[in-house]
Amino acid sequence: MNMMLETRLLFKRKMLETLREPVWIVAGLSTPLLYLILFAPLLKGLNAQALNADRVIDVFVPGMLALFAFGTGTGEGWTVVWEVQNGVIERLRVTPASRLSFLLGPVLRDIVMFIVPSLIVIAVSTLFGFHVHFSGLFVLMILLSLLTAVVSATSISLGLILKDSGSLAAVVTGLQLPVTLLAGVLLPLDLGPEWLQIIAHFNPLYYVVNATRVLSEGIIFDGEVYLAFAVMIGLCIIVFSWATRVYRKVVA
Amino acid sequence: MSKAIEVAGLKKSFHNRKGKRMTVEAVRGVSLSVESGEIFGFLGPNGAGKTTTLRMLTTLLPIDEGKAVVAGFDLKKQQKEVRRSIGYVGQSGGADLAATGMENLILAGRLYGMGRKEAQKRADELAELLDIRELLPRLTKTYSGGQKRRLEVALGMVQTPKVLFLDEPTTGLDPQNRANLWEQIRRLRNAGTTIFLTTHYLDEADMLADRLAIMDYGLIVAQGTPNELKQQISNDVIRIKLKTEQLTDGDAIKKLLKSEPYIHEIRMEGDSIHLYVDDSAKAGPHVFALLERGNMEIDTISFSRPSLDDVFLKQTGRLLRDTGKGGVA
Repeated sequence: MNMMLETRLLFKRKMLETLREPVWIVAGLSTPLLYLILFAPLLKGLNAQALNADRVIDVFVPGMLALFAFGTGTGEGWTVVWEVQNGVIERLRVTPASRLSFLLGPVLRDIVMFIVPSLIVIAVSTLFGFHVHFSGLFVLMILLSLLTAVVSATSISLGLILKDSGSLAAVVTGLQLPVTLLAGVLLPLDLGPEWLQIIAHFNPLYYVVNATRVLSEGIIFDGEVYLAFAVMIGLCIIVFSWATRVYRKVVA
Repeated sequence: MSKAIEVAGLKKSFHNRKGKRMTVEAVRGVSLSVESGEIFGFLGPNGAGKTTTLRMLTTLLPIDEGKAVVAGFDLKKQQKEVRRSIGYVGQSGGADLAATGMENLILAGRLYGMGRKEAQKRADELAELLDIRELLPRLTKTYSGGQKRRLEVALGMVQTPKVLFLDEPTTGLDPQNRANLWEQIRRLRNAGTTIFLTTHYLDEADMLADRLAIMDYGLIVAQGTPNELKQQISNDVIRIKLKTEQLTDGDAIKKLLKSEPYIHEIRMEGDSIHLYVDDSAKAGPHVFALLERGNMEIDTISFSRPSLDDVFLKQTGRLLRDTGKGGVA
């Protein structure tokens, strides 16, 4: 009960912080829109049959949303580095408030900052011919919110551990590119050779991206979807218990 | 509850993974006790282990060994109760720069379990107490160093703590802001708060602290009121500086003065000689006469009470101002 209130207060703090810097909102939104405007037209020439879909854009948009969900979660680590250096984290840690709420405040903010712009991106996508299946999209947004939460908590923990924006950048970008490429965010990995697909099975994001494509077709009750939720919920539990422990220990 | 803090045999080591299991013993067995309602100064050079001790006492760092009771609660078993009873203002401050001062204060209050109205009321009280009312509607990143410090002290006071921990509160402040903050810290003490503050400024410890402990290399080397500590050395100090060409003859001077019974101790410190005596008015003429007999020409001479610097020099063999990053008067 207390934790809910503390989480709400800390979420509000983070939300205010974000709304005061509209530049970041615009920058965040521009990534998926640029993909849509500058990259999606290249897909026109691809054979939709090879992708096992009616339209190439239907395969592309869910992957791009996954990419956006991932990217939205990465940012808080940098703020945390700065907050460690400014003593903000220390000051929070001497209060009796729950350690989990310190984590959930920014994570929930990141989820909101994923969902709201995503709706805009989806609306724009329809102009490019993207088919909207409401129930499927609804579940898809829940799945991708879990992804944002996992990435956000990871980024926060790395920030707390590394305490340096340079090293954080090295680790985060070092992870981001292989993880997203190996999930087939832009094009399905079915197109690739077998070795690539085998490696991909070790990547949690691979299951998420597969499920997003199923979900965006409007199919909810499907093995791919169950698998993705199982992977993300499991990962959430692991990452959140790790991140809470890191919060308990960190010292500037 | 007469003791605000009671610490016995506190220890903390850090393991350095890079240096093949190099262990740094930051705190090597600290024992101290702080009375309720006093300002307790924790003095020592940078790297002495002050901040580490403070972090243990404020639940930020786990204790390796030893026992500590803060505000009546066991630090190991009752962390949450300790957190409810203390305030902490870290060296790096901790004000949220992206929020206004008022938002900072209200959030802090609410994280301590206050309702919205209560938090607002408390913020108003603190605005008065620390004289920051005009600043509060502004974003904290626009504050000057002194303004930010005052907000941070207010943040540490939000839940009306029994014990307030301040880690080098005046570092980086100009003299006027320092004096101002001292005044406010005294006001908090007079309102009943116990204050535990670390500093590497001798004058700050001397002026502000009711009692103090001196820490060096992870150990407490002296503890008491500033006057007690000074009187342990002697009543008076005579500081002599000779004309430069005779400097090399430090040993000769020592030999010359050593056999005098009224001199408790002689210490060379750089190019000056410190004589610790009971009564400089009586000792002075003797010293003049001896130096003249020894053909030593005096450049400057001064008579004074011992300072905390003398205490530090006696306890550690060096001056505090030689060890820190400077700025010690």
